[in-house]
Amino acid sequence: MRLKRLFVANRGEIAVRILRAARKLGIETVLGVSAADRDGLGAEMADRAVVIGPAPSAKSYLDVRLVVHAAKSTGCDALHPGYGFLSEKPALSRMCEDEGIVFVGPRAQTIEALGDKLAARALARETGVRTVPGTDHMASVDAAREAAAELGYPVVMKASAGGGGRGMFKATGPVELEASFDKASREAETAFGDGRLYLERFVERARHVEVQIMGDGEGKVVHFGERDCSVQRRYQKLIEEAPASAVPDATRKRLHESAIRLTSFAKYRNAGTVEFLYDVDRDDFYFIEVNSRIQVEHPVSEEITGEDLIARQLQVAAGEGLQLRQEEVRVTGHAIECRINAEDPRHGFAPAPGRITRWLAPIGEGIRLDTHARQGYLVPPFYDSMIGKLIARGRDRNEAIDRMLSAIDSFVIEGPKTTLALARFIVAHRDFRNNNMTTRWLEDIGLPAFQTQ
Amino acid sequence: MKIKLQDIEYLIEIFDSSDWDEMYLKCEGVELFLSTDPNARSTRIAPVTTPLSVPAASAVEPAAKAGATADVASVASTTVPSHWVALKAPNLGTFYRAPKPGAPSFVEVGQHVVADTEVCLIEVMKLFTSLKAGVTGIVRQVCVEDAAMVEFGDTLFYIEPS
Repeated sequence: MRLKRLFVANRGEIAVRILRAARKLGIETVLGVSAADRDGLGAEMADRAVVIGPAPSAKSYLDVRLVVHAAKSTGCDALHPGYGFLSEKPALSRMCEDEGIVFVGPRAQTIEALGDKLAARALARETGVRTVPGTDHMASVDAAREAAAELGYPVVMKASAGGGGRGMFKATGPVELEASFDKASREAETAFGDGRLYLERFVERARHVEVQIMGDGEGKVVHFGERDCSVQRRYQKLIEEAPASAVPDATRKRLHESAIRLTSFAKYRNAGTVEFLYDVDRDDFYFIEVNSRIQVEHPVSEEITGEDLIARQLQVAAGEGLQLRQEEVRVTGHAIECRINAEDPRHGFAPAPGRITRWLAPIGEGIRLDTHARQGYLVPPFYDSMIGKLIARGRDRNEAIDRMLSAIDSFVIEGPKTTLALARFIVAHRDFRNNNMTTRWLEDIGLPAFQTQ
Repeated sequence: MKIKLQDIEYLIEIFDSSDWDEMYLKCEGVELFLSTDPNARSTRIAPVTTPLSVPAASAVEPAAKAGATADVASVASTTVPSHWVALKAPNLGTFYRAPKPGAPSFVEVGQHVVADTEVCLIEVMKLFTSLKAGVTGIVRQVCVEDAAMVEFGDTLFYIEPS
């Protein structure tokens, strides 16, 4: 089966990225845009762009029916959902299946199963992948108090239907637990339509480590190494890198094996990422969740393996299988990615939409910029604020850092405020160079230091 | 900074999705007043007695990209009198002129309509929404073929208000 025409159901840099990969494979492309993205780079690159709705996402990018109708009416035989938006909504995968459109991603039932955090944890346990010591859903605050005493404080209360850091509450003792249990449940009900909570041990010093996998849907899964995404603010990643050099080799190998075991058992199809919490003090890791989509930070895995993950997604979707053995995946060198957001880090990261009046992209050895932005581009206020990803590759981590700093220094963006200067500050920081950050580092140490600069 | 037509469209969209009641903007030879109250009048701008004509840019169908078939008839804005009101598609979908296949069209050219007159259906994955004329007047042009796909903002009809 060959994919003839691909509908890209996303926007911004990932739409451009997908269009690039499709073009490389000789696949025709149709981009669904909102009215605000009509004149964007993606719309120019696609063979055809169709305006599906007005600017607000709810009336455009988030409308499953609109997106599928657009794909059908433009004669597309495949659809790539990108990340965010509808990429992990089983309804889109399912509607594509029903309409005979190849969904470039997992089966609807896989997305559904893995989207339920408790069901995902059960799957991990079944495949012998350790999860953060924790509980099933707590029916009452009394049950929670008992379980927390057994787990040992501090504990974190999580919404079963949550994700991306949302719906999480920390409790350092029984008083705090009792005080916030009802509130947490109500908030979860409102935010996710499901008030169920469960508890987990709170790890003091943690790193966010994830494994990139690709499955053929029949049990064969290959990994493309791991990534360290510990530099986060409010659970949003700012900087990612590959490999996770701070984690010992033997542990990394176990991470890969666990990721493969879990996704292979689920007969996972297409690209995915298995997220783990790495306990620095115990040199141990715990399964957190599976992200059933291609992720923002996929470029760093591409840079260390020489792989084109989006192209491979398209090939797997076309039914061509993985065409790759694990032994053929070679990891060399190191790559770092800085997300560039149109936000003002000196004013509470307030979104800073507006026209880019000057844009001078960095170029050089090992430098890659994934973006949809350019000079004259009007950053719209309707969507998330990421305007690009700057990636630097090196033969080792130090060289990647040096190249990143050099690239940022030559990168000129005028108009909206961006997080470029913050990225530079972080990458130049001694702690980053020494690679001893944890997931708390940015908020506890990095940001305060930046603000006093 | 010169205000472009598209910037005005953006401002309208931003205002629409905000919780503001009113907005007044004066900049570079442009005065813009937006309100959620249809009876509101700006004290700063003289009222416009004819309906604001739709920006010409969106009445013109952009040239079809290579490889795509043009399934929407192009209407050059220069041939349409500026007081005609363009009825535009509220979202992408399939345009139907009649309530059922084989049934007579909702409206024909030359037909008198009122604001509540149903003029067409837009279908999205088997969900049908009917569109109303929105003004009282005469249908002057039908700009789209039956069963054609339309995009958000495409002009479907021109109605001459009476």
